[in-house]
This record gives sequence, C-alpha cells and structure tokens, in this order.
Amino acid sequence: MFGWLKRGTSRREEPPAAGAAAAERGILVFENTSEVIRAEQRLRDSGRQVRVMGPPPEIRTGCDLVIEFPLIEELAVRRLIEEAGLRPLRVVPVSGPLLQPVDLFQVKDFGEFLMVRAANMKLTFEKQTRCIVNVSGGGCPDVPYLARELIGKTLEEAPEPRRIGHTLCGYALQLAFEECRRRCSL
Amino acid sequence: MALVDARGLSCPQPVLLALGEMKKLGKGSLEILVDTDTSVENVTRAAESQGWNVKEVQPEGVGYRLIVEKT
Repeated sequence: MFGWLKRGTSRREEPPAAGAAAAERGILVFENTSEVIRAEQRLRDSGRQVRVMGPPPEIRTGCDLVIEFPLIEELAVRRLIEEAGLRPLRVVPVSGPLLQPVDLFQVKDFGEFLMVRAANMKLTFEKQTRCIVNVSGGGCPDVPYLARELIGKTLEEAPEPRRIGHTLCGYALQLAFEECRRRCSL
Repeated sequence: MALVDARGLSCPQPVLLALGEMKKLGKGSLEILVDTDTSVENVTRAAESQGWNVKEVQPEGVGYRLIVEKT
C-alpha cells in the first residue's frame, strides 16, 4: 500500500543493536559517480566534513565511490543533498567491519618522491620541493591538459584540478591532489 | 651520452629515473629508452618542465628512444 512511499525515499539501513552505539559515521551510496561528485560538492560548500571513499565489501549496489559523513548530521546531510536534487540509493551507518568504507588512496614511496593514486589517477611529487613531477592515468580527454598545468609546479602553486578539469579523471586527480597536500601538512 | 633504460618499468618510474639523471647531469644530452606511448608523453612533459628540450623521439625495438638536451 505504501510501496510508492518506499520507492520515493532512499533506504535507511538500520544498524544491528550491538553496533548502534559504535556507528558514528554513515555512508551515502549513489547510483553513479557524477551524483557523488555533486553531493560531495554540495556538502563541502555547506561546511560539512565529508570524505569520498570506496564502497565497503558488504555494499554491492551503487557506484565505485561513496560519501562518508558524521552520522549525527544525517538529517541535515539528507536535506542538503535533496535540495540539490539528489537522492542516495542507501544511507548506511558504519556499524561493523564489513561496512567500513575503503580508502580510495594508494600511496607509494619512491624515496625522494611520493606517488598518490586516487581511483584511476596518479600524482607524483618530489618530497623536498613539493614539486609535481608526474600526472598520469585516466584516459579522459583533459588529462594531457591537466598534466601540463600541474607538472613543474609545487602543490601550493598548482591550480586545483577540479577548477580546470571537466571529467571524472579531473575529479579523481583532485582527490589525489588533496591527499598529497594533506600528507605534506602532517 | 648518458643513458636511462626505463623499459619494462611502470609509471611513474621512467619519469623518476629520467629526472634523477637530468638532475645529476645538470645539462647536456640524455638518451632515454621507454616502451609505452604513455611513458613518452610523461617523460616529455617532465623533461620540458625542467627546461630540457626533446630533440628526438624514435621507435626503438618495441618501444621508443628519446633524446633530451639542455644547453
């Protein structure tokens, strides 16, 4: 009888009672990556502390990216993304090991250089100077342009890939870029 | 001429090896062997960002031979 209502609202997964107290974070699962990108932008613009991650092993629906958010802010988060015309497939409390989102980043230390890979894009910089020496991966048409704009510049000087890129590769490169900056600030 | 053989190495290692040799040389000519189009592009961009000019890109076996120079 209320099937339409169920269809019209995204599913909110109830955590097991034992894990309820531990679930301080939740994840938003979307159908495709462009929705993830738009939702992340909306939430960040509103000052929310969110992270794009890989989906946990137990989540088999949606795309290859999820958004992690503080569960205490669920209502506000839902409202913000719905205002942006977005509806997550699922909202899941991180209540157990199999629901832990996966880190999107792979980091490889080459001695003087550090490479950070985010999804399909790799960014390598010299540790001492923070100069970007290589950008690769993807296969999107704007990757050569992004590479030329970033290589030879420091992490501080380089333009943010999200400002100059227009593809998913640009988005993934932005994630790698932010992770490089974060690691440099530790 | 100094030589960097980066064949068989995956990204970003060809770039890192080439940059290391360029740094060591300071200027002059350097021959770099790579085996993918992507490595040619990556090494070219890295070399140019350091003020080196790519003088030559030639097929070499199953890969490529690049000559870069800085005066």
